[in-house]
Amino acid sequence: MPTDDLILVKRARDGDQRAFQTLVERYQRKVYSVALGMLRDREEARDVAQEAFAKVFKYLDHFKGDSSFYTWLYRITINIAIDILRRRGAAKGEHVELDENIQVDSAEANIGALGSRLGTNPQKSLLRKELAEKIEAALQEVPEKHRAILLLREIEGMSYEDLARTLDIPKGTVMSRLFHARAKVQKILSTYLDLDEAKSGLGGE
Amino acid sequence: MMPSAADCRALREQLSPFVDGELPASQRISVERHLASCPTCSSRVADLRAGSGLLRIGLELRVDEVDWRDFTKGVMARIAPAPVPFAERWRVSLRELFTYRRGMLATALAAGVAIIALAPVLLRSPAPNGYARQTMAVQSVSTNPDAHVAPVVMAGEHGNAIIWLVSHKHVLEGKAPYEESDGVDNGTSLPLKVDQERKKEGEL
Repeated sequence: MPTDDLILVKRARDGDQRAFQTLVERYQRKVYSVALGMLRDREEARDVAQEAFAKVFKYLDHFKGDSSFYTWLYRITINIAIDILRRRGAAKGEHVELDENIQVDSAEANIGALGSRLGTNPQKSLLRKELAEKIEAALQEVPEKHRAILLLREIEGMSYEDLARTLDIPKGTVMSRLFHARAKVQKILSTYLDLDEAKSGLGGE
Repeated sequence: MMPSAADCRALREQLSPFVDGELPASQRISVERHLASCPTCSSRVADLRAGSGLLRIGLELRVDEVDWRDFTKGVMARIAPAPVPFAERWRVSLRELFTYRRGMLATALAAGVAIIALAPVLLRSPAPNGYARQTMAVQSVSTNPDAHVAPVVMAGEHGNAIIWLVSHKHVLEGKAPYEESDGVDNGTSLPLKVDQERKKEGEL
């Protein structure tokens, strides 16, 4: 049975670097995945993931243990990623909208477009490199804070309670943002699959 | 009976938490009832599940492409930077010393000079015990002009001195002084005056 996160945190706080390395190895894939979903750029995602762990280590003494270690880690990851996105936006002269003011596209995707092609187990489907790229591209169309929720839910499988705690928002907001984020991604992916199916006959199990 | 479009609209936002298992029991049961009679919303649920899976697997594919061997090393390097070469460490230390600790440096230099100056005194072998422990040197010896003696000062090997008082009387009579006295003529009044200065180890 793996050692509990909090025990590893305590050991790391007492100077046991090996304990901290175990925490890094435990979460590195998921933290990187969240960072990649947020930024799309692999080098930046790797940098953000490493920076998040370094920051966690730096502030280990501030970690009270009243929340899960991983919610704290993901909060730091998301905050670093959002800072980068804002800097990017500022560098390009783009206006960074406040999350709550974003007009959410609530138009529905072609209902059943994904389910009928991929079934309940998309792993069986022919998932090509281009499709992975399309998923990354679709994520970039989602407002950053909606994207963060979607990634934490899909990658880490966080409960709504943990999502609310990690992002410091009410549970109702979690539910609403998640709904809109999913609707957006589905619409983009179903359009892609429609086009792709017409071109190459992809789909079906 | 087929549910109305209004029913579907009312339930639409609940489908996402339904798929995530986050609906309270009462709402979950009502959604399940609706789904049982609504193929459109059932398709929406299938889409949600497929979309979630697609997203997860798509990102996993990307993560699999990463070389994780140096990842932890990179993190640890950010935590504890690589050791600075010896010469560089000295250069930085000296620069800091001259920039921020000039007062301390001046004090240390003054202490060093003082130690070097005092070293001969501090390192000198201790004086012998007893009467001659005091360090002194014979500067001059003189007698009362009326006394019939003449002082003779002999320097010892270790800076000590032996003073002989030679009687004029014995000299005139051709007698050796030691025939009557052992070093000092006790029969003679000796208003001996010795100027001393505590400077150098010696024996009187």
